[in-house]
Amino acid sequence: MHRRGVKRALAIPLLLSMVVAACGGDDDGDTASDDTSVEATTGDATDDTGDGGDDGGDDGGDVTTPATVEDTDTSIVREEGERTYGGDVIFGLEAEAVGMRPWEDACGEPCLNIQLSMMEQLMRERADGSYGPWLATDITSNDDFTVWTMTLRDGVTFHNGEPFNAQTIVDMYPVQQSGTSGAAAINAAKLASLEATGDMEITYTLSTPNSAFPASLAGVLGRVFEPKAAAADPDGFTMNPIGTGPFVMDKRDIDNETVVVRNENYWMSDPDGNQLPYLDSITFRPIPDEGTRLDSLLSGTVNMMHSLRQGTIRDARGADGIQLYEFQGNNTGGGMYNTAVPPFDDVRVRRGLNLMNNQEAVIDALGGTGISLPATQWFSPDSPYWTQEAADAWPTFDFEAGVESIQAYIDDPARSDGKAPGELIDVELSCPPDPTLIAAMQVIEQVWTGSGLVNVTLTQFDQATHISNAVNDAHRAHCWRWSSNQDPSLAIDPVVAPPEESVSNFPNFFNEESFQLAQQALQTDDVEERTELYKEIMLNFAEDSIFWYSGYTATMVAVDPSIQGINGWLLPDGTLGNGFPNAFVTFTEVWIEQ
Amino acid sequence: MASTDTAPSAPSDSSTGDPSRHAIGDAARPVPQGHKPKRQPLWKIFRSMPIVVKMASIWLTLVVVGAIYSKLDVTVFDGALPLQDPNLQLNNFNPATGEFGTVEPLSAPSASHWLGTDALARDTFSRIVHGSWVSVIVVVVSVLCGVVIGGLLGSLVGFVRKKTETIVMAVVDVVLAFPALILLLALVSIFEVRDLFIISFVIGVLSIPIYTRVARANSLAVSNREFVTAARAIGTKPTRILRREIIPNVLPTLLAYAMVAAASVIVVEGALSFLGLSVQLPTSTWGNMINQARRDIKENVWQVLFPSLSLTITVLSLNQVGDFFQKRSAFRGSAL
Repeated sequence: MHRRGVKRALAIPLLLSMVVAACGGDDDGDTASDDTSVEATTGDATDDTGDGGDDGGDDGGDVTTPATVEDTDTSIVREEGERTYGGDVIFGLEAEAVGMRPWEDACGEPCLNIQLSMMEQLMRERADGSYGPWLATDITSNDDFTVWTMTLRDGVTFHNGEPFNAQTIVDMYPVQQSGTSGAAAINAAKLASLEATGDMEITYTLSTPNSAFPASLAGVLGRVFEPKAAAADPDGFTMNPIGTGPFVMDKRDIDNETVVVRNENYWMSDPDGNQLPYLDSITFRPIPDEGTRLDSLLSGTVNMMHSLRQGTIRDARGADGIQLYEFQGNNTGGGMYNTAVPPFDDVRVRRGLNLMNNQEAVIDALGGTGISLPATQWFSPDSPYWTQEAADAWPTFDFEAGVESIQAYIDDPARSDGKAPGELIDVELSCPPDPTLIAAMQVIEQVWTGSGLVNVTLTQFDQATHISNAVNDAHRAHCWRWSSNQDPSLAIDPVVAPPEESVSNFPNFFNEESFQLAQQALQTDDVEERTELYKEIMLNFAEDSIFWYSGYTATMVAVDPSIQGINGWLLPDGTLGNGFPNAFVTFTEVWIEQ
Repeated sequence: MASTDTAPSAPSDSSTGDPSRHAIGDAARPVPQGHKPKRQPLWKIFRSMPIVVKMASIWLTLVVVGAIYSKLDVTVFDGALPLQDPNLQLNNFNPATGEFGTVEPLSAPSASHWLGTDALARDTFSRIVHGSWVSVIVVVVSVLCGVVIGGLLGSLVGFVRKKTETIVMAVVDVVLAFPALILLLALVSIFEVRDLFIISFVIGVLSIPIYTRVARANSLAVSNREFVTAARAIGTKPTRILRREIIPNVLPTLLAYAMVAAASVIVVEGALSFLGLSVQLPTSTWGNMINQARRDIKENVWQVLFPSLSLTITVLSLNQVGDFFQKRSAFRGSAL
């Protein structure tokens, strides 16, 4: 009891900071809480770089994933054409990045675009979902994945001239431990200690096996900042962050614009030996209103923008003279039932409600028809962890079967809610007051109420209260988002762990088999084996019906057609990077066509 | 706020021969106890209105009639009256028929849907008519609350004065210092209030201070008039003076002010609805209709336009009618 209370006390500020930082995007970190977030067009708790991945790299050729939604091209392709130096990008962001301290500040997609233009990570995700070295050159583990040894890249310096080496990682560690985001990332990665075992070699020791540790190094834990500058003036770091990245801070005027300019001493070159980056500067301008941001692009006020809203993607598709880059993430919209509270403690009720959830209509209400696919599991069809078997197991709309399932509960003299047989069940359905979610919940309400068996109450609370209600178990049927583009373990483990041990087990449901499967998945790095384990968990999710789903998150980067290199950038080992996940752009190889 | 002291000059009451106007301050003819001023018939008042105020009155009447009609449709006739179900999504699965609807969402005005349909293919006209019930109830409850409590309190302290006035007005000033909308937002979100009458009552309570101020100002003026002095001189009890001389003369101004305040109340409720903090969904209100339609404004402007127009015209009408009655009450004061 006390333990859970402490966890809640820690979790609430973390979740709230996530929401605050994310108005429009959300969190990037490797934190357990990142794995979930409120379903809103403004939020998904997806990682900036992660995606569950198989091992092995790519040779730099194209990795083309099939278009999964009508008119949507989500393929990652290396662009052809002559790279040219010079030019300025003006990027319309959906929100300002409040903090630039990786160890402290939650950082959503708008923030990531700024932060990762100046800072780099030890690992990055490849197009095929595996992880490759960036500031590292190699990483290996022992047999049980509890000790990881990483070799660092030589010849890299920070913007202030300080060298990057193993001591840098050692010096970063106490700073990370002292910060909200850093501590959560350390905890999620199961990192117990680290030490420099050479000038350019680090050894990480974990508390429990974690085959997905490289994914953690592609998030907050592996985001490299200059530790001396951070320790000397932690608050000042937000205004003048120092990393090893391709761009250097030039001007930071919060809520107006942040300008970064080319790092003349950047370490990386393109395959032809030309020093990167190509651009002279990037100006980031927060333009919160979706329509205004798109209009700014169309009028030439900015030449790049991003959006995490399906409605904006729909509008951008209809506009001329711009190039769209769309992405289907693993982030799965929908909601959850608090199974600690009757009648949701009975699977007949949960399954009945799920059978009466018309996903197509909900997606239409969300504005996602033709943009977002109906979700059936925690992985989009683009993910290597998506399986047809899990997709087939997810209940499709069947009103009659739903009524039958709930009727069985209602007629049961031993029904758990204490009501007399035949009385309606009470369902409080709650979402944040976003217009799209309001529409979606009313679509669900019509069918549930229309069954004549369910008395539905619709409630709306601001995002912070909505999250707080879930953390404090004051929720019933609750809009929520699931999964992320990080390694599956980061999203799934906290939810399948015993509720008394995991504050992120918001449904308060425990399936011993799912828990054991998740533990097994941390003890192997074989993607096929892991896919099979996670498939079994997805099948259990369908059987237990503790969640309901709407669709997968769609995001977009839109640019002036002269801007190139957003899609097909390379890792230092020549493998193809993961493009522009969740509207986060890697600027290393972006150029402007002359 | 129009005051009896600042009203423009006008013919004296005696010249109009209207017995309802001699009561205020006619020292030569103190009001006989038990005198009831004669009320002007509504149709005469309507005839005296400028054309704009007439149109405003007609609109307000339509809103009230529509509100009552929609409520009767739901509570008495079980949806049998000729008005479409405001919550039926005509493109969704309809459990009653077991079939999926085929009506297009966000359709333009047509013969079958006079004001088109919203993003969930619900009839917009019906939702606006049903939404008027919320506006009417909020206005009635909050104005009643303000006029009765604020009016009585203000009349009392303006008449009694001394320490009572000092204490009450200090409290009123403190409450007025709070930004009412922020306070209201905090109250409804913390206590998770979604009941229409409770929300209306809370808005009413928050408007009490301003009604108190208006009533007190008028009570002060009336208390110094000769007929009150005369009443005191002949030994009339203070409670009777308050009931028979003060309140009847404060009330017209207060009611005229209430019309203007009602417009603010509708805007406040609209703001709450827009923020998702008013009555429970799927009940339609003009504010939540605007909120829900704003996402699709580029695709279909009608769904934002019609509830916005309803709100705007109602607020404008209340202001027009309120101004008209304020002038009438000021005219009354000019006869002093």
